[in-house]
Order: sequence, then structure tokens, then C-alpha cells
Amino acid sequence: MNPDDTTRQALIALIPRLRRFARVLTGSIADADDVVQAALEKAMVNLEQYQPGTRLDSWVFRIARNHWVDDRRRAHNRMGHDDIGEMLDLAGDDGVAVVEASAEARMVRAAVDSLPPEQRDVVALVMLEELTYREAADMLGLPIGTVMSRLSRAKAALAKRIAAEGTVQ
Amino acid sequence: MSAPFTDAQLAAFLTGTLEDETLIDAIEAAINADPALATRAEALASAEPMDASVREAFAPVLDAPVPERLIAAATPRAAEVVDLAAARAAKSAAPLPTPANDTGRSSWRWPQFGAMAASLALGVLIGGPLLKGGGAGAPEGGSLVLASADLTAMLDSAPSGQKTDLAALGEGEVVLTFRNADGLLCRQFLIEGKGGTTSDALACAGGNGTGWQIEAYGRRAAPVGEMKLAGGDAAPAVVAAVDAMIDSDPLTGADEIAELGKK
Repeated sequence: MNPDDTTRQALIALIPRLRRFARVLTGSIADADDVVQAALEKAMVNLEQYQPGTRLDSWVFRIARNHWVDDRRRAHNRMGHDDIGEMLDLAGDDGVAVVEASAEARMVRAAVDSLPPEQRDVVALVMLEELTYREAADMLGLPIGTVMSRLSRAKAALAKRIAAEGTVQ
Repeated sequence: MSAPFTDAQLAAFLTGTLEDETLIDAIEAAINADPALATRAEALASAEPMDASVREAFAPVLDAPVPERLIAAATPRAAEVVDLAAARAAKSAAPLPTPANDTGRSSWRWPQFGAMAASLALGVLIGGPLLKGGGAGAPEGGSLVLASADLTAMLDSAPSGQKTDLAALGEGEVVLTFRNADGLLCRQFLIEGKGGTTSDALACAGGNGTGWQIEAYGRRAAPVGEMKLAGGDAAPAVVAAVDAMIDSDPLTGADEIAELGKK
């Protein structure tokens, strides 16, 4: 396999994480898949810009986020709705336990979806991708204290929303 | 100057339990200004129960089957390029996809069309019913000269992303502009036919002002529906041709207009 093929295989392996990342950013799985597709296409066209030895995930996540930011500037204002539940149904999951577990998951997703975009960025990177504050700051081009305060406000909003829904951890 | 804030304050800041908005802003500004304080705060960061429940809430996305179009977007295109070459070879040996073909005319070639006929043929190929769903191919290298005035006008001057009325052909849109290895301007475009079908094509300027030549075309396999038309939905033969020929960053905005001006 030549290096490009290796990189492409690695990109394919990253798709589930890219989808999750984009789903948090966009608020809908359909928009997320559009973003992921565009990011993968851009990555393929610009494969020579990727520096082997550096983190491929950071590179392609940045491409995906840039695409979404540009896309949003083009004045899309599509309403998000919780479609992960539908996706689960399609995948064939059922049963009472699953439904109950998914009710809480749905509520948590709705809480995340209600956050402003700059807070969803840090939730996606730090809480879900488990980047350090410093790594998230690098990726977003923000000072580290700002990443911390955004996540701080996101956590406060999530805690409030989750408490209001009457579900306790 | 890490002194003004206690570890308890920094920890509360990190966990989102600090209620005082002014204090949150003050800590943010102090951390941004003071690497030592940033390091102290980083050391206080720890995993929290909420992290786990957020991860759990989005876990189904990780486990869900990946749509084929996403795999396709990252799938090595080498195989398709080979297919394109094979398609070209087949085209040069085989007849056009018209019902009137018979093997006796297998040496029949694109150049035997005049520009008018080529225009008609392109209209048929792009807008007409003769291509089967998913059917795709490339006319023999650069020999199909584009002679539809509406299409030519769109390729000459329309910026990427702008819809253009192509009269009987339907509605057109240039999706990508770039230069090929010979430095010639190439434009990938799509045509949404009146019947709801979408076709893709790649045209490159012929050089010396000889107009646009179709390098590849293809009909989309599936209806696009309300999905946004992205370049990546394009017919594989066209995507492969773009992949094989692109030799510059895509031209956009003012650059694109400027380059079109000096085509």
C-alpha cells in the first residue's frame, strides 16, 4: 500500500468519530453526513497537504469544522431535530430497556443541541473526543482560558437543563 | 501571577459550578494572560460524570452503520480511474449508446460529429433518456466540442454555485473550477434536467480559444431529492476525471472570475 492508501484507510476508520463530531456541531445527522462527506472529499483532494506523522484526526476534524463554519455562513438555518433515536430504530434496536435508556440519551442530546455553537465546539472536542483543553485550544485557534470558560458555561447549562428535566445522574 | 485565584475557585470554574459570571470572565482573562495559571488550571482538570453521560448520549452515532456515500467519499479513486480508462478504451472501440448502433459501425468516432451534432449529442446524453441509470463514461479524449450557446455562456462566465437557466436542457450549475496539468481551465458542472434527472460533466478549455471540450460526463445513479447538491454526489466517472486531472487548488470567488477572464 502506498502512503496515500494508508491515509485513506485511516480516514475511513475515522468516519464514525467524524459523524459524531459533526452531529454535535450541526445538530442533525443529515447535516452531519453532508459535512463529513464534504470534509472527506476535501481531505482526499488535499491529501498531499497532510503531514505524515501528525495527527490525521485533528487534520480532518479541522477540515470538517471549517466546512461547517463556512456552510453556516452561507445562511443555512435548518432546524435540528433529534434523529439519532430514529437512526437507532432503523438499526433495529428495540425493547423497553433500550427505550428507557434512550429517553435519557435523547434528553442529554437535546440539552447539547440547545447550546450555542461556540459551546458545542468545546463539548464535541473536550467531552466527546476527550482532547485536552490545550489541544482543543490549538484546533479552535482560541486561548486556553477561553476554551475553559466556554466549557464551564456549557457544563453549567447542561446541568441546569438536565436537572430541569428531572433526571438525576 | 497565579495568586489571585484559589484552587477551589479554579476547580469550580472548570466544572461549571461557578455562578458568578464576572468571576468566570476574570478567570478566563487571567488564564489567557498567564501561562503559569493556565498550567495550574490544566492540572486541576478531571473527568466528570457528565462527560460520561454526554458520551453515552452520542454513542449510537459511533455504532451506527456508516452510509455508503461517506465510504465512497474516502474510497481510493484509483480503481475508478482505471475504470475510466477502460471506459475510454471501450468507447473508442464501441458505438455510441444509441439504439441505432450496430456492430458494423464500431469504428465510428466522435470527431465525425460536427460541432452542431456534438451539441445535439450532448443534449441527448445529458438531458435525454438514452443513458441508463448510473451509466457513465467519457467521450474519447477531448474530441467532443461543446456547441450549446447556453452551456458555453455558463462555462465562460458563471461563477461556481450560481444556477443558470439552460433553456431546454434544464438548469445548470458549475460546481468546481480548476486548472489541469496543461494549465488549461477546467470546470465541473451539473445539469438538472426538466425530468428531474441530474447529469454531471467536466469540460476543459481547448486552448487557443477553441472553446470547451467535454472530458467526462455521467448521469447520477439516484435522484438527488432535497439533498444539497454537492460536488461529491456527482457521477463517478466525472469525479474520477476531476480527480485525475485537477492540478491546482479549486478556484473560487474573485480568483475564479479573474481566471475565467483570461481563459
